[in-house]
Amino acid sequence: MSQSVTLQRGQAVDFYGRLEEEVREHQSGAALLFLYCEGQPGTESCVQQFVDQLPGVETEVLRDESTGVLAVVMPGFTLDAAHYQALLLKQHLQSRLQQADPRITLAAIQEAPSMQTMKQMAETARLSISSDIHIFTEEDTGGAQSRILIVDQDKAVREFLQIRLTMQGYETLEAVDGLEALELIPKWEPDLVLTELNLYGIDGLPFIHHIQQLDMKHPPKIVVLTEKRVEQTISQCFQSGVDDYVTKPFSPVELDARIRRCLH
Amino acid sequence: MAVSALYFVIIMLSFRNIWDIYRRASYSKYNTLSGSELVPSVSLLVPAYNEELTITENVRCLMTLNYPTYEVIVINDGSSDRTLDVLIKEYELTLLPNPEVRGRLETKPVRGVYYNPQYPHLYVIDKENGGKADSLNAGINLSRYPLISSIDADSLLEKDALIRMARMYMENPEETVAIGGDVRIANGCVIENGAVKNVSLPRKMWPMFQSIEYMKAFLGGRIGWSQINGLIIVSGAFGMFRKDYVIAVGGYRGGYPGEDMNIIIKLHRYMLENKIRYRVAFCPEAVCWTQAPDTYNILSNQRKRWGRGNLKNMIENRDMVFNPKYKVMGLLTMPYNVIFEALNPYFRITGLLALLGYVMLDMTNWHVLLVFGLVNFLSGYLLSIGALLLEEIAFRRYTKLSDLVKMLLFSALKFVGYHQLGVLWRVQGHIQYLQNNNSWGTMTRQSWKDKKEAA
Repeated sequence: MSQSVTLQRGQAVDFYGRLEEEVREHQSGAALLFLYCEGQPGTESCVQQFVDQLPGVETEVLRDESTGVLAVVMPGFTLDAAHYQALLLKQHLQSRLQQADPRITLAAIQEAPSMQTMKQMAETARLSISSDIHIFTEEDTGGAQSRILIVDQDKAVREFLQIRLTMQGYETLEAVDGLEALELIPKWEPDLVLTELNLYGIDGLPFIHHIQQLDMKHPPKIVVLTEKRVEQTISQCFQSGVDDYVTKPFSPVELDARIRRCLH
Repeated sequence: MAVSALYFVIIMLSFRNIWDIYRRASYSKYNTLSGSELVPSVSLLVPAYNEELTITENVRCLMTLNYPTYEVIVINDGSSDRTLDVLIKEYELTLLPNPEVRGRLETKPVRGVYYNPQYPHLYVIDKENGGKADSLNAGINLSRYPLISSIDADSLLEKDALIRMARMYMENPEETVAIGGDVRIANGCVIENGAVKNVSLPRKMWPMFQSIEYMKAFLGGRIGWSQINGLIIVSGAFGMFRKDYVIAVGGYRGGYPGEDMNIIIKLHRYMLENKIRYRVAFCPEAVCWTQAPDTYNILSNQRKRWGRGNLKNMIENRDMVFNPKYKVMGLLTMPYNVIFEALNPYFRITGLLALLGYVMLDMTNWHVLLVFGLVNFLSGYLLSIGALLLEEIAFRRYTKLSDLVKMLLFSALKFVGYHQLGVLWRVQGHIQYLQNNNSWGTMTRQSWKDKKEAA
């Protein structure tokens, strides 16, 4: 079992690695198309056939062995041109294969997107519920894959937040105390740190200060979720640059809203 | 015998109280309380004299307490080591140009106050050497909040300790003038990032004896004494006071050890003379872990100092003894302290001499002797067991079964040797008092880190 998992992962890495290379070759911009067609083994050759007749395109259709998602890089295509071709491709597939119901995600790219984004595009193609062509925009990347680091010494709070935020589509990680969090932040590069002020090892305010001192390309947003309701502490926190302050006991809906606002 | 009877009464009082303590410890919502604006703010005073080894860990611990509003004031009492440098380096402190000093208590000259806006709750006072009481007074002068709490630089507070104490204060803020905390021996525990991670008993013999002794004194004794408002001492390692009354009695008295007992006696005296209702409370669930001396020399120094301080305090306040004006304090606590604490060694020695005399003269038979000794031992042992029982009912800090067995064993061993040494040290302390020796004596510290490796 474990062996096959590693194998799949290896293939996945290989797929995205090759895709990335391919995208990099075309500096001037390209359209990236992901296609998924459930239960149709002949799709790959069909798509290849379609791609081959496109003018000025000499790319190979790539296939992710583990998920069956196909990817095509269309160099020089703008979004609307690519969209038109995608419509044609859909028609082509539907005429060739019986009961084909392809799901397509499309994006115009200037530079190579991160592997995370590409994975996400592939996922949206695979899991899409409508047969419309999905135009993948930056908003999709922002909303769904934001990383939130939860710092709280209370296990129950951590677990609750972790479950809730994961359900909201965030990627989460937990830290028990400030020192552990300070180690994790540069490694994991979260978009947002959700922290209690009352921590072991290092106090809340210095902890926030330390986060801001870290040498990072995109310093994380900081939202404080704490028992402390003293006005002075709250104003000190805002002075030192936290993005929001929520006191416990908290309303999860309100917290969601505040986190969403911080991230966009 | 009378001593034992009194001890039993006291421990009975402790037992009566333990159920309340247990309930309030388990049902109070300290977490919510610790964020509330309604909790009074506290200034923590940390006198430090040559504490370069333990001070960073101590301050780190104090900076991460679970408490809404507080400040930490470290008072460097003219240390000859690098205590001040260590702090300045660790917290990047700078000299405060115009420190706002409100208090008016007499102290040795203050050289400067250090501060870093990044750590808004930390102040470090650098002053010329003047002793522990003098340092505390300097701290009181700078403090901004209505409550003060004195904490030894070699001690670590549990995260909830302060809020637990404040909860007790808030029960009756008008009358509570002082609250003592429970002091435990940290030798043998694993310390990490300013917090006690793993509780376990000390490995060495001397700290082990002290561990039992402290437990007996704090749980068996002080809970009971506080019931009848007769506490005569709030440990210098961890206590909380109302600042207005501490200032009213003139602050801490300098120049002599035993300042922690002295301040409480002064408070008792002041409140009773002015006929103000008051209470000196003890809060056993607020735990402070302290380093116990682990060699014979240092321990004997400490005990001699205590003996000296105790005697001094008793002589200074001799007018309170058996004086009905001072109620429980005058009629019970003070006489108890004079007779059973200060003069205890002499009773023992005369008793022993008499016993020897009887034996020499062949006026006694071994049966009586044996029974007498056995009764003595058993009553003492029962008291220790009582304290242990209290611990197990309400606190359960020691979780390992082997620790429990070890505690029972050492409670018994204490009667052979350790008690006798205690008597000896006290007499030596009294001799020092007569010789007018009022030095503090050497206390060496071990870094908490070494401790961790040693444990």
